[in-house]
Amino acid sequence: MFRSKALSKLIPLMSGQSNLAYKLIHPVIASHGHLCHRSVIYKQRYRTCPRSAGRRRISAGTKVMAEEELPGVLILDIGGTHGVLEDLAALLKKHFHLITMKEFLGNREEMSKKIQSVFVFECRPTIDRELLESLPNLKVIGNSGVGVDHLDLKMISSFGVKVTNTPHAVADPTADIGMALMLASARRLVEGCQVAVSPDTKYFAVDWLGVEVTRATLGIIGMGSIGYKVAQRARAFNMKILYHNRNRRRKEEEEAVGAHYCAKMEDLLQQSDFVMLVVNLTPETHKLIGKKELRLMKPTATLINISRGAVIDQDALVEALQNKVIRAAALDVTYPEPLPRDHPLLNLNNVIITPHIGTATVQAIRMMAEEAITNILAVLNGQPIPSEVFPK
Amino acid sequence: MEGQELPYVLVDSIGEKVGVYKDHVGFLKKRFHLITMKEYLENKTVLSKKIRAIYMWYHKPAINEELLQSLPNLKVVASSGVGIDHLDVKLLSSYGVKVANTPFVVSTDTADMGMALLLASSRRIVEGHQMAVSPDTEYFPADWLGVEVSGATLGIVGMGTIGYKVAERAKAFEMKILYHNRSQRKKEEENAVGAVYCKKIDDLLQQSDFVLLAVNLTPQTHKLIGKRELELMKPTATLINISRGLVVDQDALVEALQNKVIKAAALDVTYPEPLPR
Repeated sequence: MFRSKALSKLIPLMSGQSNLAYKLIHPVIASHGHLCHRSVIYKQRYRTCPRSAGRRRISAGTKVMAEEELPGVLILDIGGTHGVLEDLAALLKKHFHLITMKEFLGNREEMSKKIQSVFVFECRPTIDRELLESLPNLKVIGNSGVGVDHLDLKMISSFGVKVTNTPHAVADPTADIGMALMLASARRLVEGCQVAVSPDTKYFAVDWLGVEVTRATLGIIGMGSIGYKVAQRARAFNMKILYHNRNRRRKEEEEAVGAHYCAKMEDLLQQSDFVMLVVNLTPETHKLIGKKELRLMKPTATLINISRGAVIDQDALVEALQNKVIRAAALDVTYPEPLPRDHPLLNLNNVIITPHIGTATVQAIRMMAEEAITNILAVLNGQPIPSEVFPK
Repeated sequence: MEGQELPYVLVDSIGEKVGVYKDHVGFLKKRFHLITMKEYLENKTVLSKKIRAIYMWYHKPAINEELLQSLPNLKVVASSGVGIDHLDVKLLSSYGVKVANTPFVVSTDTADMGMALLLASSRRIVEGHQMAVSPDTEYFPADWLGVEVSGATLGIVGMGTIGYKVAERAKAFEMKILYHNRSQRKKEEENAVGAVYCKKIDDLLQQSDFVLLAVNLTPQTHKLIGKRELELMKPTATLINISRGLVVDQDALVEALQNKVIKAAALDVTYPEPLPR
């Protein structure tokens, strides 16, 4: 079931091995043509390892090195509540010498020089000034996931450290979650399940209704990669699609999904039955949806958020839901996560909240790690970087 | 026949738990003289000869031989919804009564529900919501994962109008679509959604990550999915039922789920409805 992407065909070029030639095959690189400074076509060679039996052949085409020679990458932990998942750690170990925060703190002097990269998984470890100051050889922060609002890009840049994210791996699963939340909210799936299994249920009331998705109007705010994939899916439900974006998409792209551009977000809000937020979090999108925007929405409309919690003024949302200014909301993201246990959003029956699971699939987690690995290696090897993020 | 009098139509009740919707009464009364079951029973001698149609709303009123015998001028039973497994069509036919259903209007919403269940199950939406709102939740664990829908294989059992609309929707998620049907669809129809015909249901069951039941309930589809079929499915597969509860052998399903023979199930229909508590 795992849909293989060309990412898995990447054969890394290791720095300092100029006498060996490798072929760098990566569709992502091709799509980032503007980043290519030089030709990346080399002859592909395989090298068997002449040295001790302690070395293992990892896979055909990859350079085999002893663990200590692999670049050091800092992670929070392996396993546990917030650590990198075990399978991912195994994947990372093929290319890197993994150093956990605990190991680093227990042996700072020796470890600090080895660390060339930090692999940030689910926003951890936190990258602060103190950490950056203590890692003299740090070249890149490889983030798993596309959002980088948890990283101080300016500060990191001031240390000459690059930041990379994983926009390709996240797009499909996040678009899927957007659709899942829209359908679940429209058809009252969570409530319905509760009725179906409740010990108090004696019969199913016939006047228990949801709202229709097919032929309804979906307004997508933020038509980047993820927003566009949402549009592709929604089109199959015969939905009318409106979108608002910093820039208008090309005509062919609009026509392919039947999307109509709304230069003014107000127009989108007033006409949509479902409003889906698919923007990244920046100072410009902070509290993008507030009291005014909620009041512009139809009272029968549903708000779906798969961006970041802070894109919505949460207090205004609570008020709007309590007063039926809008029909319902479905949120994969909140601020903070989790919400405090006494937060009013937890008790409203017209709200579905999911625990930030936009990319929480076995396949997506793996693909994000692979994409992050590709990016980290590109930086360390002085190659074109597929997904670098720059401070504004 | 009095020229201006509207036809008399029997309904179970209006409003309340299972009755015809109050906001529908307006347009119904433009065409029909509605008689509720209560009114009928109170005035059988007069009304029994006048009733020419029964408007069935959510499978009520129940129609039995006794009722048919007492309605000599009954011409048609119009059932809302597409399923007619709750009607004894042979019996009605023997009384010269026609049966009508509503196949067209149900298709898209039912297909939407199939997709809603597929997505909700794969991404664990209901569990996720419970975790997000539970008073005991302190953090969201990193190893809490679902399975990917995009690119997965969907096996549709029953490719009628509803099944086909499910296929149209699933295609947009780049799902690989297999289908099993009494008869193969036309090539253009298959190509339009990228669906591959599986003459043997076993082939579909063995290859699918999601198996969606979109058949009607007939003697042939009764317990179509039983222990054997469940064991043919992948242990990582999900069963989705938007047909009728009886299409699945429920006891076999319980056992399969308990023993992780299949990964999960998402059911809009059970037998009975509701299930015993």
